[in-house]
Amino acid sequence: MQIDLDAAKQTFIIEASELLQDMEQALLAIEESPDDEDTINAIFRAAHTIKGSAGIVGFENIEQFTHKVENLLEKARLGEIPINSELIELLLKCRDHIAGLLQSASEGQKTGITPEQDALDTEKSLTNKLNAYLKPAWLKPEGDAEKTDTHEKSCSAVKSDNYHISLRLAPNVLRDGMDPISFINYLTRLGEIVSITTITDAMPPASEMNPEECYLGFEINFKSDFDKKTIEDVFEFVREDAQIHILPPKSSIESFIKLLNNLPEEPARIGELLVKGGALTETELEDALRLQSAGTEPQPRIGDILVNEGMVHKKVVDAAIEKQKSAKDTKAKEAKTIRVDAEKLDYLITMVGELVISGATLEQHARRVNDSGLQESASQMSRLVEDIRGVAMKVRMVPVGETFSRFNRLVRDLGREAGKEIDLIISGAETELDKAVTEKINDPLMHLIRNAIDHGIELPDERLLSKKPAKGAITLNAYQDAGSIVIEVSDNGKGINSEKVLKKAVERGLIGHGQNLSDREIYNLIFEPGFSTAEQVTKLSGRGVGMDVVKRNVEALRGMVEIESSEGIGATVRIRLPLTLAIIDGFMVKVGKHFYVIPLDMVVECVELTETDRVEAKRRHYINLRGEVLPYVRLKELFDENGVRPPYENIVVVRYAGRKTGLVVDELHGEVQAVIKSLGRMYRNVEGISGATILGDGTVALIIDVPHLVQSAEGIRQTS
Amino acid sequence: MAKTIMIIDDSASIRQVVNITLGKSGYVVIEAVDGKDAINKLNGQKIHLIICDVNMPNMDGITFLKELKQNAGYKFTPVIMLTTESQEAKMQEGKAAGAKAWVVKPFKPETMLTAIEKLILP
Repeated sequence: MQIDLDAAKQTFIIEASELLQDMEQALLAIEESPDDEDTINAIFRAAHTIKGSAGIVGFENIEQFTHKVENLLEKARLGEIPINSELIELLLKCRDHIAGLLQSASEGQKTGITPEQDALDTEKSLTNKLNAYLKPAWLKPEGDAEKTDTHEKSCSAVKSDNYHISLRLAPNVLRDGMDPISFINYLTRLGEIVSITTITDAMPPASEMNPEECYLGFEINFKSDFDKKTIEDVFEFVREDAQIHILPPKSSIESFIKLLNNLPEEPARIGELLVKGGALTETELEDALRLQSAGTEPQPRIGDILVNEGMVHKKVVDAAIEKQKSAKDTKAKEAKTIRVDAEKLDYLITMVGELVISGATLEQHARRVNDSGLQESASQMSRLVEDIRGVAMKVRMVPVGETFSRFNRLVRDLGREAGKEIDLIISGAETELDKAVTEKINDPLMHLIRNAIDHGIELPDERLLSKKPAKGAITLNAYQDAGSIVIEVSDNGKGINSEKVLKKAVERGLIGHGQNLSDREIYNLIFEPGFSTAEQVTKLSGRGVGMDVVKRNVEALRGMVEIESSEGIGATVRIRLPLTLAIIDGFMVKVGKHFYVIPLDMVVECVELTETDRVEAKRRHYINLRGEVLPYVRLKELFDENGVRPPYENIVVVRYAGRKTGLVVDELHGEVQAVIKSLGRMYRNVEGISGATILGDGTVALIIDVPHLVQSAEGIRQTS
Repeated sequence: MAKTIMIIDDSASIRQVVNITLGKSGYVVIEAVDGKDAINKLNGQKIHLIICDVNMPNMDGITFLKELKQNAGYKFTPVIMLTTESQEAKMQEGKAAGAKAWVVKPFKPETMLTAIEKLILP
């Protein structure tokens, strides 16, 4: 039966990308603490899972390459290869290569193209490096070849009456004063060496050979009446520096069963399990498979053939079947999450939005009819709708930490390139953000981090001179603040020199001479298009595009960006983003004849605009709010609404980015759920309005762009 | 030709036991009281195996081992380190320095002989 693997491939690509992400994290972590077993195991598991799944869904190239990486990791895990920066560097490159293979696999799945030549070259050079680790130490270049090889031998050993000893020595044994011939000689005291084969596959070409290193392996057919332990003890001094397999004569069925159970948990086919366990050779398996396909319908099961042909004992086959079953069970248990197409979620949100609107309509109608039963049902339903909306929004929220931790690698690599030592400190990783936002925030963050590495953090010498630790730090922080998510990128570098910025801004004609600007305004100049200059172009940043793009991207998400800096101590770029993109809790107000919605999470309080203030308002645009200067904006004037001034006016106090502003409105109408509808292209640039929403009765209310108003009110505060 | 083995230990009784056991089995034994003494006694002569205590005055076993590995004439010479059960940390340090054969004190003379026979040809 032809099974369509496309869906499985898709899942694999997603799963593998995540695993690679984990792997990268773990690799970077292990650089800090090379002895952490959990981390080593995590890296190993990632490679192991990728290899296993790649094979199952049919990406042989990924499987083969990852298999080699896994071999290396296995050695590192067992402590046979020291974990040092060189190894980590290699593993990181291997990870990148796997990511590349994955990428072309996922593109290839769509377009059907095969991997490019340079990918093949990379693979070749990486494979050579991997083999350099694996080869001198007792392993032949092709892990698979080696496996079948020894197993073939072990199987022949099964049939013979002798011990079979397979010995692979580490290169350093000679230097440690361990001469293999002494051990082999000692063996003769315990029995008779029937035959001995020297394995020289690990021997490099003469030009690369180090005469002080041992490249040999031995396969020994050994006749002895001593027990396995005694024979094993012959090699006690090289046990740590050698791979020693001793197969007792006529290896018992039980020992194979035990071996089977010790195999890593993955659902392999019966035949493969048995070959892995050494109970069956590849040739025997091939014969059996041929018999199976030649058989009449229905095809006999492979296990039955093996038993009937006398290749494997029934008990062993049963054990293998058991093992296969348990492996499948483990797989099933691992699935704790469900992957959902992002488009489906978007559709869900849209539908929930419509539901909210019709819910509001229903409630409004119910209020008009004098039927308490209907009213009760309607209000109950609107409560449920509210809950559904909450849940639907939550479904889209992901912790920002995943996005953050991707930058570990960037900081490490770019820092090294620039000759700077930099730590990336992540905090607030659990802060949740809309999935769509995390995707769009990635590029701006990357740019800010590049900037911090390039312009912020000084070279180690410079840092020491200014009495700072040689190692710089970049901090990524996220937290919720009044209905928005704040993401901060800070560095403890040299900060921003406002004079330099000012000078450059004048040069670029962004501002005129002699203009008096506050520090905040000066920093904001950095976000002006064309501020970055060509003279400071480096590989990292400064290509003349950048901060203005950052600003544009953030604003596209209805967010804003600001800079804080203090010279010599560091700089912080703060990005504020709305919590959600689709539906908000709003506070409805009326100005003139129209309804407006203010995002509820920005509303602090409502106060009455007193008569005194109204009189004063002719001269100034701020009130005294319990001893605080509160600038305010008259929405009626701002939006040019007609209508008479009502006897009482209200001020809705809103807060954004730590600054409070009053919005003077005619009537307060209370909380509503607002489904944000973007304005048509014609109205996109209208100031003070960020969108629209449809109310229960079908009328349109405009959503007030609080950030913008707060900023323009800030101007009032400063001039007053 | 008889093989030469050096025993380095600050305990005279251990040296004596080793000397007698090995002597009986036909080995030539050179005794040294500590690492420094041993370095002086190496003297360029062929030594087939060295038995060395860990804790000794003047120069301890690990330092001796490290110096030995620097010496081209002896860097391939097998070394059996003598240790007590409690010296796990020392043992790790020694292994890193290239001493892979360890015999735990107190040992039976036969144990020592077996260890030697595994490491050098008769």
